[in-house]
Amino acid sequence: MSETRQDKIIRVDMTDGQILVEPMPEPWRKLGGRALSARILFEECDPTCDPLGPGNILVLAPGVLAGTSAPTSGRLSVGGKSPLTGGIKEANVGGNPGQDLMKLGYRVVIVTGQSADSEARFALEIDAEGVRVKSVNEHRRKWNYALIEDLKEVYSKTTSFISIGPAGELKLAGASVACTDADQERHPARHAGRGGLGAVMGAKGLKYVSVDPGRSPVRKPVEAKDWNALSKKFSREFINGPGKEPFPKWGTSVLVEEADSIYTLPYKNRVECRSPDVQTLDGMRIVESFETRGGGMHNCLKGCIVRCSNVVMDEHGEYKTSGLEFETLALLGSNCGLAHWEDVADLDRLCDDVGLDTIETGAAIAVYMDAGEMEWGDAAGAKALLHEIAEGTEVGREIGNGAAAVGRARKHHRVPVVKGQAIPAWDPRPIKSVGVTYCTSPMGADHTAGLVVELGQPHEEAVATSQDAQIMNAVVDSSGFCQFLMPNLDEVRTFYSYFLGEEISRDEIAEQGWQCLEDEWAFNRAAGLGDVDDLMPDCMKEDEIGPQKLVWDVLPELVEKIYTKPAVFRDELFSMRPS
Amino acid sequence: MPKVEIPPRYRGVTVGVKEVRVEAETVQACLDAVEVVYPGFLELVVDSAGEVRKFVRLFLNGEELSRTTFDVRVDSDDVVSVVTGAAGG
Repeated sequence: MSETRQDKIIRVDMTDGQILVEPMPEPWRKLGGRALSARILFEECDPTCDPLGPGNILVLAPGVLAGTSAPTSGRLSVGGKSPLTGGIKEANVGGNPGQDLMKLGYRVVIVTGQSADSEARFALEIDAEGVRVKSVNEHRRKWNYALIEDLKEVYSKTTSFISIGPAGELKLAGASVACTDADQERHPARHAGRGGLGAVMGAKGLKYVSVDPGRSPVRKPVEAKDWNALSKKFSREFINGPGKEPFPKWGTSVLVEEADSIYTLPYKNRVECRSPDVQTLDGMRIVESFETRGGGMHNCLKGCIVRCSNVVMDEHGEYKTSGLEFETLALLGSNCGLAHWEDVADLDRLCDDVGLDTIETGAAIAVYMDAGEMEWGDAAGAKALLHEIAEGTEVGREIGNGAAAVGRARKHHRVPVVKGQAIPAWDPRPIKSVGVTYCTSPMGADHTAGLVVELGQPHEEAVATSQDAQIMNAVVDSSGFCQFLMPNLDEVRTFYSYFLGEEISRDEIAEQGWQCLEDEWAFNRAAGLGDVDDLMPDCMKEDEIGPQKLVWDVLPELVEKIYTKPAVFRDELFSMRPS
Repeated sequence: MPKVEIPPRYRGVTVGVKEVRVEAETVQACLDAVEVVYPGFLELVVDSAGEVRKFVRLFLNGEELSRTTFDVRVDSDDVVSVVTGAAGG
């Protein structure tokens, strides 16, 4: 019998600290991660609620396969109504808490309510003994790294943590939720960054969650023999194929030069999409630093075979940050006119420490610079702004609330956001399909909701590609698999089949992805989002880039075709891989 | 004529064209011939030192080629595939 039959869920009401541990409801049994979060929010959260009020729900949902021996399968979905977009949000994150929750048999943590005392701070402790809420006012306003250092003194070596920094406590719309790395140092370097879910956690007074699986074993599949054979075959093919390079070798940071070459490296608030500083920003300089400073590549969660996360050291060979990604180098680097990766590494560390989304924060600083408030490339000024965010000064709150907030405050015209959320590095002008994703994804401008880096596509084809990618990514972000493992839907459903001991058909897995999107779109409509929220900002239609003078020119009536469910799911959907 | 397959990421310069038939007798000549039709293509594939860029792999009929030597003979039915790594980040 499937182990999922004994699974449990945790409900925590922060209004009175009441905890309920219940059996996993049968209708949710095959759901995990993003799809489970969407279903819970659709069924239990009033879409019109104040995102920072007691009516919002914070969901912590590992993927279906988290805690198993499947490779790179332990990711966690953090969900809630976003204070940034006003719609539903799921941010997918690595680190070990997802694995650890599932090893304990907890499929989801549902946090409701709000403490009457806005200055009170609480922790949620989850281990083999049970689940507890406790007061932790002594940790108020602590930065993530200092917090985790203190917690490591108190909790066992097998404990992982989910936490917020001062940005979350200040309820800023750019605040992230941090998860600790798998290695023994447990740096809080993995972030559910997008959508301001750190603010939702902060509004509930929840400073951290500790998860100690102790000696809990990995979750066992029903069809163990087939499962093991599939897992080995899949891992071998990945390692000998796409896993050979570039990510395990260098990480995503080396995409800087590549993105620059195809006009999708944002420069100075996206007025250009190539940077003259590409060589000093590119991640190969980070890779070169490994030889003299130490550091290198590692896996962020146990059982990962992708190993795309870099560990970056300073000039003295001391740890500075980890998981310094392409998106961060683009948004906090070239987009702000910064020239050197080292400065971006400092900003990345500050964002992780204060608890901020690097994409949103980079975009916000770029709008601030573009409005004439700071010189382009002023690295010291940018770092000072991050300290202001942590201190909660007026300008700090403005930046910490994201790019749209800065645009409003400075009355600036060039604000590259969709649904209030900053556009990531992958630019919609050369890559039409990702533009369609930014316009129509329930998540707002979020490349992880459906990215296919294909240029030169006819617009009709770009819409179809985006639809497929959005379905596929909804499934992958529900499975626990990392997108960088690049599983296609046939592979995901085969893993599901062997794990659950029942055949999962092509139609069933595709329906699961589509239903996730339907739940999220329905939530957004009920929250008040409409057609006007699906529009690309004017700057993307007016600012031309590259020799082809590309602008966003896909017609809204074409874009909205994404909402029509295909009569039959295309074959391409099942062979497509996340990128 | 041999065929050069263009990866999705580099179809900006080929304006969406996915494969190009060229008159050429070596892999190098195939890439040069695409460059003539679609200027800007070659610099996406090969760096200034003449090596295949770090995100690119070249295949001839499915067999991976060296990153530095493309002076490999091609026949009329051969397929040169330009393959790029993952994106994301």
